[in-house]
Amino acid sequence: MTYALVRVPRLDLDEFANTAGMHPELVRRLVVLGVLDAAQDSAGRLWFARSQLADVARIQRLRAGFALNYAATGLVIDLLDRIAVLEAAARRRQRLGGQ
Amino acid sequence: MADRDFYRILGVARTASQDEIQRAYRKLAREHHPDVNADPGAEDRFKDISEAYNVLSDPQTRRRYDAFGPDFRQVPEDVDPETWRRAGAGARTRAGAGAGPAGGTRFAYGGRAEDIDLDDLFGGLFGGRSARGWGPVPGADQSAEIELTVQEAYRGGERPMTIGSGSSQRRLDVTIPPGVIDGQRIRLAGQGGRGSDGARSGDLFLVVNIRPDRTFRLDGRDIHVELRLAPWEAALGTSVAVPTPDGEAKVTVPAGTSSGKRLRLRGRGMPNPRGLPGDLYADARIMVPPRPTDAERELFEQLASTSGFDPRSGH
Repeated sequence: MTYALVRVPRLDLDEFANTAGMHPELVRRLVVLGVLDAAQDSAGRLWFARSQLADVARIQRLRAGFALNYAATGLVIDLLDRIAVLEAAARRRQRLGGQ
Repeated sequence: MADRDFYRILGVARTASQDEIQRAYRKLAREHHPDVNADPGAEDRFKDISEAYNVLSDPQTRRRYDAFGPDFRQVPEDVDPETWRRAGAGARTRAGAGAGPAGGTRFAYGGRAEDIDLDDLFGGLFGGRSARGWGPVPGADQSAEIELTVQEAYRGGERPMTIGSGSSQRRLDVTIPPGVIDGQRIRLAGQGGRGSDGARSGDLFLVVNIRPDRTFRLDGRDIHVELRLAPWEAALGTSVAVPTPDGEAKVTVPAGTSSGKRLRLRGRGMPNPRGLPGDLYADARIMVPPRPTDAERELFEQLASTSGFDPRSGH
């Protein structure tokens, strides 16, 4: 039987940590803190999407720029995301009302 | 040349206490951090602010900065400030020019870990790494508005643009795909915030803002234009040229067209790179001569007495 080679769209913990330039244990802690999302398979392994490398970069920038601890970074990220959604909605409303 | 007066960057007096410097930095960082402020100019302001803070928050580097100015890193550690002052401005300029931009004032995010909890647990894991505690960090995404006329949005094409402000200003030639609509985001990969240590840059998102137009009103991809008709044109039918962003189009007005009737030109609205284009609607609006001539008045009177049409009876 032959299998087609396909590009794996997700990264395991070690690959992800390596690409992000972080220690795998730190990545795991970020997942436990709920700062970073990860999928868990039946064997308990963590899997990440490539796009989450940008999320990790944001966590690192925020942590460094504001001397935040990682738990607080989670709150800041949630708030920033909510503000982005609200701002987009406000822009949409303004556009519809402005015509 | 960027402002190299670190006190001015932080907005504090030269006599400011360490607390004042810290407070000024925290406030400015909250405003200009690239993850909080998506403006393309914010990143460079944040870097300036951070560099100013890194220098002024350490009493020793602050003393050296006060004595030797922004190029203090090029002055050897053992130089006496008094000797330096006596050496005069001319010599200083030469020294500065000779040393050039190799001053090593490279920006590094943060550099000070003031929080203690989890992070300390991992401190040991990063023993072999740089003082910052991690490797290259990719840049943040940025966003800016781009204002387009209806025609520019319709046709697309190259457009020069200036991003950011002050020392961080840069020019970009943006390729606008034909048929962008109001509020759409154009992604310019790799044009956002710079990554540190050679990590990849973030993306720049341009949010399209289509300038309101006297002739064309946009509704998504549909375009509305006003179609002004004389009463007799509306009653008898005619063929009229209406403007479209792509030039004029002929519209056949059927006999018996009243104000408010919409004539659709299928597919003549905004192009759509991923599907069907929008439609163009010509909205009929009947106009009467504001000052009719005697002959016109006579003909209207004749029509009024002959016609049994009552626009106010049920439709």
